[in-house]
Amino acid sequence: MISVWHYLAVAAVLFALGLIGFLTRRNLITMFLSAELMLQGVVLNLLAFSRFHANLSGQAFALFVVTVAACEAGIAMALFIVLYRRNKSLDASVWQSNREAGVPSSVDTDALPTVAAEGADDPKLQPAGAKPQEPARV
Amino acid sequence: MSLFAAMQTGNPLGQLATAVVLGALAIYWLLPRPRGRSIAIGTFAAIASTVVLVSWVVRRFGDPAPDLVGNILFWLFSAGAVGFGTIFVCQRNPGRGAIAFAFVILSVCGLFLLLAAPFLMAATIVIYAGAIIVTFLFVLMLSHADGPTDENDRTREPMLGSLAGFAFLGLVLFALYQSSPAAASDTNNLEYALPARPVSGEERAVLLEIAEQLGEVTKLQDKDAILEKTKLMRDRIAEIVGVPPTSVDAVAVPSKRKSIPDRLALLTDPRSIATKTLGEEIRQMNVKAFNALENNLLSKANPSATDIQKSTEALPALREKLIYLAGRGELPARNVANIGYVLYSEYLLAIEMAGTILLVATIGTVAIATRKRVSA
Repeated sequence: MISVWHYLAVAAVLFALGLIGFLTRRNLITMFLSAELMLQGVVLNLLAFSRFHANLSGQAFALFVVTVAACEAGIAMALFIVLYRRNKSLDASVWQSNREAGVPSSVDTDALPTVAAEGADDPKLQPAGAKPQEPARV
Repeated sequence: MSLFAAMQTGNPLGQLATAVVLGALAIYWLLPRPRGRSIAIGTFAAIASTVVLVSWVVRRFGDPAPDLVGNILFWLFSAGAVGFGTIFVCQRNPGRGAIAFAFVILSVCGLFLLLAAPFLMAATIVIYAGAIIVTFLFVLMLSHADGPTDENDRTREPMLGSLAGFAFLGLVLFALYQSSPAAASDTNNLEYALPARPVSGEERAVLLEIAEQLGEVTKLQDKDAILEKTKLMRDRIAEIVGVPPTSVDAVAVPSKRKSIPDRLALLTDPRSIATKTLGEEIRQMNVKAFNALENNLLSKANPSATDIQKSTEALPALREKLIYLAGRGELPARNVANIGYVLYSEYLLAIEMAGTILLVATIGTVAIATRKRVSA
């Protein structure tokens, strides 16, 4: 029988994945979705305990978590727009000039792989020759 | 200790550590960065970590064999959630990441349904469908599709990040294991276990089945039919509620698992005490009722109708107690109606607060995103 511990283990895995995503990824939108992933783990915990104790308090609480997640989504997106207007980038590391005094800055040592721009391999039409001069037919 | 030795000996800590290390390495290899990324090795390590972790969960928290459909659905949705979650975290392209996240939400909603929360499942799908489409619009609007970018193709501290995440996971699972019935029965330390549900779903099903059979037995008038029907009943009841400590069976029948009163022995909340007392009553009644039945039926070659009636007269009371012990179902069947009732009776203030937070968040969002006009 699937017990509450099975659900708690899955919830813990989801939370850990969200945590890793939030800590390591640099795209603001991906970081935001990682936080949502952690919230899903939390909601799964609440529902598992709700079922386990056979009462609805956990489900009611999960509804509030979803409410808070919706508020978070709205405000996060508004913040991203403001940040993007300033720097034209979704990279969180762009804002490392705001770090605490004494903390070393992170420097990207490896160069990004160069990929040929899209359309570089597309077949090219030969330039057409001179337009033949034809006498106008009247 | 080598990793394989740890896996083979079934040492719980070694197995958990193996899964955690493999998982951390897998995510480390999969996270996007300019040099040293290997999707093949990462995928292999991720699969290995999943296999070790699943075998650990099955070993420690029990192999859920009887309920086949529930099982398959549970493993399907869990695998979907965890698999798409991994893809989402390691995906270079944020648009594809958002799609993987949508699949995570769908899988988690499946798990919600298995947890008897249909309303929350529907609400989550509706809310996240909107949220994900909006996120998608943002990705399309803000990200540059031309070539690699710092935000998508670089990762902050991939090794430390994945180690931190999996160290956290290992600790949580270890703490779960220590508080689970598996650990408590390993060490006979009941006080460390989280309070388990007094009567599990399996036991409830068995109790109701026996109660139904007992109802049929009381209507029978034939000695052999009665004996045939009640042959295994005493043992099946004893398996759930145990045998009285004074009974001769107490030593003779070593129980594979702890009976309900034994499990609740150390708990002091009123519900547990009531269930424990009821279990002990059924223990006594079980012995008395079936002793009476066998004494009346087996001592005579051709028992009279009064003998048969006498032999089964204790059974209806036992049947009632069994139904009482089985108790109500897992959650109210009318889940949606009940959650509405709960929200508007017990959590009325919280509802008001949630509404207020949403309103404030909406105003805040508009205020933040408005472009400030610089006056000349």
